[in-house]
Amino acid sequence: MEKYLEILNYTIYGAAILLLLIGLYGALTKKSLIKIVLGLSIMDSGVHLLMISIGYLKNGTAPIFSPGHENELAKMVDPVPQALVLTAIVIGFGVTAVALALVIRLYKHHNTLRIDEIKNLKW
Amino acid sequence: MDIINIILVIFFAGALITAFAAKISSIVQDILFIGTILATSIIFFLNINTNTETIINLSHINLTLGLTPLSLYFAFIVFGLAVLAGFYAVGQMQGKKKKGYFYFNYLLSIAAMFGILVSKDLVSFFIFWEIMTWSSYLLVIYNGENVQKTGIKYFVLSAIGAYSMLMAIVIIHSLTGSFLISDLISGFNNMSANMQILIPVLLLTGFGVKAALMPLHIWAPDAYSNAPMSYTAIFSGALSKMGIYGMVIVFLTLITKLPQETLIRDIIAWLGAITAAISTLWAIKQDDAKRLLAYSSIGQLGYIVVGVAIGTPLAMLAGLFLAFMHGVFKSTLFMVVGAIEKQTGTSNLKEVTGLIRKMPWTFIAALISIIALAGIPPLGGFVGKWMLYESLITSNHYLLVTLVFFSSTAAFLYCYKFLFGFFLGQEEKEWSHVKEAPAIMVVPMLILSLISVVLGSFPQLILKPINSALSYYSLPDTYNNLWKESMIFNKWGDQVALTPIVYGVAIVFIVFAVFLFFKNRKTSRYVTTKDISTSGEVPKEHENLTFKENFFQPFLRAVEPAMKRQMDKYMLAFAKGLEDLFDFTRRIYNGNGQTYAIYAIIFVIILLLLSNNLFS
Amino acid sequence: MVGTPVLFIVIPLLAAFIIPLTGMVWKNSVRIIPGLVLSYMLALSVSLMWHITETGTVVEVIAGWKPPIGINLVFSPFSGFLATLMIFLGLLVWAYSYKFKRNVDSEPALKYFILLMLLVTGSVGIVLTGDIFNMFVFIEIVGISGYGLTSFYTRRDSAEAAFKYLFMGSIASTFLLLAIMIIYSQLGTLNIAEIADKMPMMSNKLKVISLIFFILAIGIEAEIFPLNGWAPDVYTQAPGPIGAAFAGIVVKSAIYASVRLVYTMFDLSGALDLFIVIGLITFIVAETTALRQERLKRMLAYSSIGQMGLVMVAFGIGTKEGIFAALFLIFNHAIIKSLLFFSGSYLVYNKKNKFIKHVNGMGKYLPITSILFTIGAFAIIGLPPFAGFWSKLAILTAAADSKMLMLIAIILTVSILEAVYYLRVINRIYFFPKKKSTEAKKPTLNALIVMISLGIIIMVIGFYPDLITGIIDRAATDLMDKTGYIKDILTINN
Repeated sequence: MEKYLEILNYTIYGAAILLLLIGLYGALTKKSLIKIVLGLSIMDSGVHLLMISIGYLKNGTAPIFSPGHENELAKMVDPVPQALVLTAIVIGFGVTAVALALVIRLYKHHNTLRIDEIKNLKW
Repeated sequence: MDIINIILVIFFAGALITAFAAKISSIVQDILFIGTILATSIIFFLNINTNTETIINLSHINLTLGLTPLSLYFAFIVFGLAVLAGFYAVGQMQGKKKKGYFYFNYLLSIAAMFGILVSKDLVSFFIFWEIMTWSSYLLVIYNGENVQKTGIKYFVLSAIGAYSMLMAIVIIHSLTGSFLISDLISGFNNMSANMQILIPVLLLTGFGVKAALMPLHIWAPDAYSNAPMSYTAIFSGALSKMGIYGMVIVFLTLITKLPQETLIRDIIAWLGAITAAISTLWAIKQDDAKRLLAYSSIGQLGYIVVGVAIGTPLAMLAGLFLAFMHGVFKSTLFMVVGAIEKQTGTSNLKEVTGLIRKMPWTFIAALISIIALAGIPPLGGFVGKWMLYESLITSNHYLLVTLVFFSSTAAFLYCYKFLFGFFLGQEEKEWSHVKEAPAIMVVPMLILSLISVVLGSFPQLILKPINSALSYYSLPDTYNNLWKESMIFNKWGDQVALTPIVYGVAIVFIVFAVFLFFKNRKTSRYVTTKDISTSGEVPKEHENLTFKENFFQPFLRAVEPAMKRQMDKYMLAFAKGLEDLFDFTRRIYNGNGQTYAIYAIIFVIILLLLSNNLFS
Repeated sequence: MVGTPVLFIVIPLLAAFIIPLTGMVWKNSVRIIPGLVLSYMLALSVSLMWHITETGTVVEVIAGWKPPIGINLVFSPFSGFLATLMIFLGLLVWAYSYKFKRNVDSEPALKYFILLMLLVTGSVGIVLTGDIFNMFVFIEIVGISGYGLTSFYTRRDSAEAAFKYLFMGSIASTFLLLAIMIIYSQLGTLNIAEIADKMPMMSNKLKVISLIFFILAIGIEAEIFPLNGWAPDVYTQAPGPIGAAFAGIVVKSAIYASVRLVYTMFDLSGALDLFIVIGLITFIVAETTALRQERLKRMLAYSSIGQMGLVMVAFGIGTKEGIFAALFLIFNHAIIKSLLFFSGSYLVYNKKNKFIKHVNGMGKYLPITSILFTIGAFAIIGLPPFAGFWSKLAILTAAADSKMLMLIAIILTVSILEAVYYLRVINRIYFFPKKKSTEAKKPTLNALIVMISLGIIIMVIGFYPDLITGIIDRAATDLMDKTGYIKDILTINN
């Protein structure tokens, strides 16, 4: 049972990296601007998942000092990644919003969403 | 404050004020310009002192300024020409646009040349060198014609030279821990053999560009002919001598310590001789007097390089003497062309003709300078060339002397072409309105011609400073026994041996000429080209009867193979090729945001693959 | 003590929230308050620079959590130098664009000045912070305000440029987070000093991977080849002064971050060689690409990228002289390239495509602007007696002292190209006839003052470099002193 849980641990890492790669694949190969933004978002999610899983502790408790539980320090999950991931999610949200705003403007300007047709600036 | 600093400050302040004085009045600007030059030269000549040193302290670099005997000699050339060409420039620039621009850069380049001469450390040398480069660049493009081609070519070649010099400078600093030239000289022996070769080669490349040495000369014809003639007088007369100045130092102090000494000397000397020969041929081909003189300048600089590179005491004497002489007569000739261009509007030898009666004083100046250039006794050019030939023969460079002699003789052709084209031949109606140039332009030319004449008979006037310059760099004292060095000097060592004979011949000749003149005065009649009624057929308007068309064609046909390949074209083609290549490579940035992202991922993958090698 | 480094972050962020509110009452406050904030920050940083010459590095602990647990801001000679430079430039950009788009309604102007202030704040934050996650946050602040500023004009292709920037920026932030998490999972800390202290404990493989991810992420902001495809587009499409802000502020902060990584955090010896290689490739590619550009701003952008490559090379030399040269170049590049962007955008004012040919003959119509552009161009080529010469000399001397002769040769060869394309523009300004259709626009008074003062700085530094070399020298010594940095932060007690 222990062994399977061990594997499960890695599966979380694996899932996170898989998510990252899926996002990267989407961002690098899809031609539609919307799909690229989606890919970037998925990449972000992958990293967020990775961050959370680093702080994960089996049977851990919330990282809050409360009376009667002072000696459970070892069982607390690491609070830092959680704090970081919250920040990162907010930032990611902001970036996605800006990206979508830009996509809307690009569509108005060029009447297309294909990234390989929006090449006014080059060389 | 020290004299050198004062002079530099006057120069820079004068340049700035002159540039902006156009707002007040044009005359004020002229006066300020002349005043700056006069003030600096007077201060300089009154306070010549080769012992003082000024040190400007910066936190990590000390700039050391001071005169050496060698730089004093070159400073004579610079200041003398600066004053004379300055007066001339005021005359020539009358009524032209961008006068402030011209005066500013003129003063700045004179200041920079002075700065180069007084630099005792390599950093200030380089600083002034670069100021000289860009101020002369700005004057080369003054006319606004072909700026993208001529100007950029000049600047790129200058940059190649300057940067190889800069590379040498930083290497020297890393090896000796000091920027001082004296430390370079004393520490040169301790360097590794590779560095001992690399440093002089880099330095010579730098100086060779300004001295228009093959294959770094390609900027010169265009640059010399594009700049205003009053500046080209300085450009060819003084600025190119800065390259010679540097070469003299390198040859006297560094090359002599090398085991491969003779090889390097021979290579540079041969380059100089080939430069002289080829550019003389090109000069003969030119129809524009400016370009003719430009090529001629390159050729003359070739002789000087030969003398400096061979480096025996006599050769050095010859090289430095020729450097002075070239400054004198070539700047006179450029001034002549400038005067003619100002009066007629063109400098094309085919168009202008018969000015001898219109511009007699200009003609006299041109005649004397041409004689000096051709090396005909009794003028100064003869003395220099004689010494050069003799030094080459006594040091067993027979092939070299043949080549130099060939180009010197061939130079007669373009000398003749120049004189004939402008001044002789039939008078055309087109030029009947031409007047002599204003006095402010003619007088400097005449003064310079006078110097040519005087130095022909009394070369010791400048041989003495040359001698003290050379003995400063520990060459043996030659001045007191000049007659041992060359058979051209009489046994008292203060005269050119041939002079009395030459003067005798000249006097007879002149008497004869005067006799002929008076005898035939009544019967002679001036004719124009079309005035050939004696042969019974009146030529049509468009027929060109002057034999200035295709001057020297048989000769040029004979030497054509030597001129088939032009360095210029190869270099331009190379530059063009490079530009096209870069134009192609910039397509990396293809405009697709996704491609850039893919580049990023490829970048990471490459780094990850190489990580074992990179971070071991 | 005059103030603490935390004010650099708090005041502008606070102001950014307040300005929209005051803007409802008094429209002009929108453009005035950012200027006041920036001037205050400049005064603060200058006085702090004075302060630290006596007391040494100031470490500010935020919210009472001592390092390594809490976030801390470090105002050392090195980071202080860069922060002061950035704020100064930010103030200049503000002054230059003070009358910017007066004719437009206040809505765009509102965004512009707030975003500019945030851009400066973020960059200063990157430089001052002692915590890598905090650095990530500041990079994102810079990024988002940068996207906003790039897409400022709605009628140009600015959205395209902004999207490319955003695309690359997102990839950068993802990889930055990955790198940070690798370090955190191994060392359990985010504090730069403590990471540096504990770095030997980390396995080599993970160290290398995290460094590479860092280089990717920060390299995108630092515009190294081949990660800089977005940069020329952004420089071209953003408003003129923002080009200067990018070249002078944003890139500098990214360079700071990468240098901090390599010199302080990681103890990998090959990283410096990597710097030289990457920097040199960037330099060569950017300068060769700049040679045949048809648009002025794009040319300036590539030139800027090239100079940054040179800065990387100088940092990669690794000796103190190298760092000195790099910092000197950073300083020079900041003032010179700003001048070029400022004056250049007046030379091609209001032209749709901003081709280089639009500058033809402007020397007659915009004499002062043209002279200033010329001074800038001469300075960036490295001609004496302008400021750029001294930094070029410093770099070459540093390279020669480290026996890198090929490096010197390559740098000098490529510098010739740089001279060529700048001189081509100058020749056009002065010697080509102006087309009738192009119309010269006189610079506004505030812009003129800014440009002239930059020109004067360039000349003064050129004639007397000692004004700045002392500060740079201290900064270079500070960066070399890794153990001092760790000690300063970890043993703080207040």
